[in-house]
Amino acid sequence: MAYLSELIGRPVTDANGDRIGRLEDLIAAVRGEVAPPQIVALAVKRGNDLLLVPYDEAAVLLAPAIPLLHPARDIVPYQSGENDLYLVRDVLDKQIIDTDGVRVVRVNDLELTRVNGHFFVINVDIGGLGLMRRLGLARPTEKVAGRLGRRLASNSIPWDAVELLPGNQPMRLKVSSEKIAELHPADLAAILSDLSRADSSKLLDSLDMETLADTLEEVEPDFQASLVEDMSDERVADLLEEMAPDEAADLLAELGEDRSEELLNLMEQDEADDVRKLLTYPENSVGGIMTTEFVAVRPDLTAEQAIAYLRKMGSEVETINYVYVTDRGDRLIGVFSLQDLVLAHPRTPVEQIMHQRVVTLGPLDSQDDAAQAVAKYNLLAVPVVDEDGRIHGIVTADDALDKIIPTAWKKRLPRMYR
Amino acid sequence: MTLSQRTKPLRVRLLLLLAVVGPGIITANVDNDAGGITTYSVAGAHYGYSLLWMMPLVALALIVVQEMSARLGVVTGKGLADLIREHLGVRLTALIIAIFLFANLANTVSEFAGVAASMEIFGVTKYLSVPIAAVVVWLLIVKANYKVVERVFLIASAVFLAYIVSGVLARPPWPSVGKAFITPSFQFEPGYVTIFVTIIGTTIAPWMQFYQQSSIVDKGLKITEYAYERIDVVVGSLFAVIVASFIMIACAATLHTNGIRIESAKDAALALRPLAGPYASVLFGFGLLNASVFSAAILPLSTAYVVCEAFGWEAGVNHGWREAPIFFTVYTALIILGAAVILLPIQSLVKTMMASQTLNGVLLPVILIVMLRLINEKRLMGRWVNGRAFNVLAWGMVAVLILLTMILILVTVFPGFLGG
Repeated sequence: MAYLSELIGRPVTDANGDRIGRLEDLIAAVRGEVAPPQIVALAVKRGNDLLLVPYDEAAVLLAPAIPLLHPARDIVPYQSGENDLYLVRDVLDKQIIDTDGVRVVRVNDLELTRVNGHFFVINVDIGGLGLMRRLGLARPTEKVAGRLGRRLASNSIPWDAVELLPGNQPMRLKVSSEKIAELHPADLAAILSDLSRADSSKLLDSLDMETLADTLEEVEPDFQASLVEDMSDERVADLLEEMAPDEAADLLAELGEDRSEELLNLMEQDEADDVRKLLTYPENSVGGIMTTEFVAVRPDLTAEQAIAYLRKMGSEVETINYVYVTDRGDRLIGVFSLQDLVLAHPRTPVEQIMHQRVVTLGPLDSQDDAAQAVAKYNLLAVPVVDEDGRIHGIVTADDALDKIIPTAWKKRLPRMYR
Repeated sequence: MTLSQRTKPLRVRLLLLLAVVGPGIITANVDNDAGGITTYSVAGAHYGYSLLWMMPLVALALIVVQEMSARLGVVTGKGLADLIREHLGVRLTALIIAIFLFANLANTVSEFAGVAASMEIFGVTKYLSVPIAAVVVWLLIVKANYKVVERVFLIASAVFLAYIVSGVLARPPWPSVGKAFITPSFQFEPGYVTIFVTIIGTTIAPWMQFYQQSSIVDKGLKITEYAYERIDVVVGSLFAVIVASFIMIACAATLHTNGIRIESAKDAALALRPLAGPYASVLFGFGLLNASVFSAAILPLSTAYVVCEAFGWEAGVNHGWREAPIFFTVYTALIILGAAVILLPIQSLVKTMMASQTLNGVLLPVILIVMLRLINEKRLMGRWVNGRAFNVLAWGMVAVLILLTMILILVTVFPGFLGG
């Protein structure tokens, strides 16, 4: 095992024993997301030039001076490929995303290991000990630690947890990473708030629409607004369609009237109408946090039919935990839960399973009212009805509580101001 | 139904935009911290108008440095510490951060000296005012909404416009003043060279470059908007130097002409007499207190961010001790040490405030050289590298600064060596 920092700077000599230059960088080929990169070439600094020497040319890599197998003029230079990663130029000292620990860290050193005559990058050292090693103070630090009776652990993460920042990846390697997409949106949002604006823009660009929408929903509207500032209108319109209508409404409210109009016109008619409706309610009211994506059925539907309906509609609504029963005029006459539905006899009309005393909120009620209703009645969602009893939307528990427990506030301030 | 009920009307957004003042103006105001006000006051009171010729040159230097800092920030989208770490290696980073920590500790001490000095005007002993201020500053960092704090500070620092009015009301001999702006004079005497370096150090403080670049990066300006940012930088720099010049003029007109030397903040306050009469000391005390407290909050915070940014440690005030130990330690330690030093028996708070600015002036070439190395790297800046003329100017500045520091050391250690 060797550390990259220990190898860099070593002299490189050819078969005749003449010094060619200094090792300035190691080039690794990235094969797939998880497999450790393999060292394929050495970058040797000779005068003002950078000579790329294929790895096979080096007789031994771990030596005080690196000897090559052929005389200098017989060496065929390495041709840089598409998947090449320059370890010093692109990785060392740069910031990376640790997808295991869900944080943004800086690379202090790289650990290389030899398998079957080839070298692979297996770990990234992000800890203080790595820093000390770079400064040439590893041994004194260990001595001091030893005397204090503490063992210093090397803090490193495996390469498969590493995600390079989009800005630092070799130009042609800009793939939308699976590792990133697998992170929970709340974690992605946390990483975003640790990145600089340029890097977070690039990261967002690499996400697919669904992940992007989920991630943005985890941050406050004004931070969302600054994140989408650099996106094209089409992409933002797609994003708004993908987001829950209440979230989309919040974001549009931040973007200013002109841009909002343009974006609404770019969206699909139905989606746009839903959002427009929500925008008419004041921000701090129940109408401002409710969503229009809920399930409503007629009272004459049987339990069996209701389940089939849920299967069809399930992916388009916010929650299927509660199903609301409405009459022909959209008036709310009852509600039943998924549990009620599953436990009932398949051919029972839902009229018989539903609860007729429903806890409701008015669209102009306050968010405090919503939170209280959720807490008092142990609800997962509360329907919002107008004076005529017509249902307009539902407030889910997480949205009701979100306004009361402002956990997301710290995510919205620019990094420097937190 | 229209959207107007919910989307913020244009008017409000414009006001909000104005409220988020450009980094240039903010930096300009931060220039008028305890060290700054004291330095300019002493310069005017002890040397009259004879140092005014420096100010246009200092303004030019400030604009050059701020512009580079802004350009680095906009083009790379990264902070200065980030760039140093990524492009100049760990060893250089460690050295620079060490220097930076030391200088910032000195500056923090200076800010707390400012707190002590201003409260002494109101008759409060430093043994009371400084510990309380330290706690207040710590709470400001941890609890306050930064944007609100910044806005309050900016409004309160309008007090220094009072110097402009005061300077005019003191009726200095304007022809002489004008002449002083264009008549260079230099003496190889330790006091003179010191104040020379101090003025430069307080106007172009190294820590400000890190702060300015971070704040530009946070604004997320695009290269296309850069022309506007350039204007902001130039205006901010000019504004800072104009206020500084007026502080010097006001002090020269009120103190120097009457042979009053500045031994304490109360003396410096006299410069505001033409404007505020008997309330001069109150006005000055308030202004100094405001500037000191705010800077005492920014300095440790920005230092902590820089250190953590350079070494990849977790940073952020909302993280607390357990999640971001180094960040927390840096700013807490700076506040405690800064305040503690002031509580020691110190002869002159004024001299303490100025000493840190002299240190700034001495260390400035280091930061400049680093910035110049970064800004000339084509791989980093693309076509936004320095032009040849710019480089000549910038490197010339560095040479002059280093020369000044050497002269300073020489005349301090060997007085009379250069015929001073």
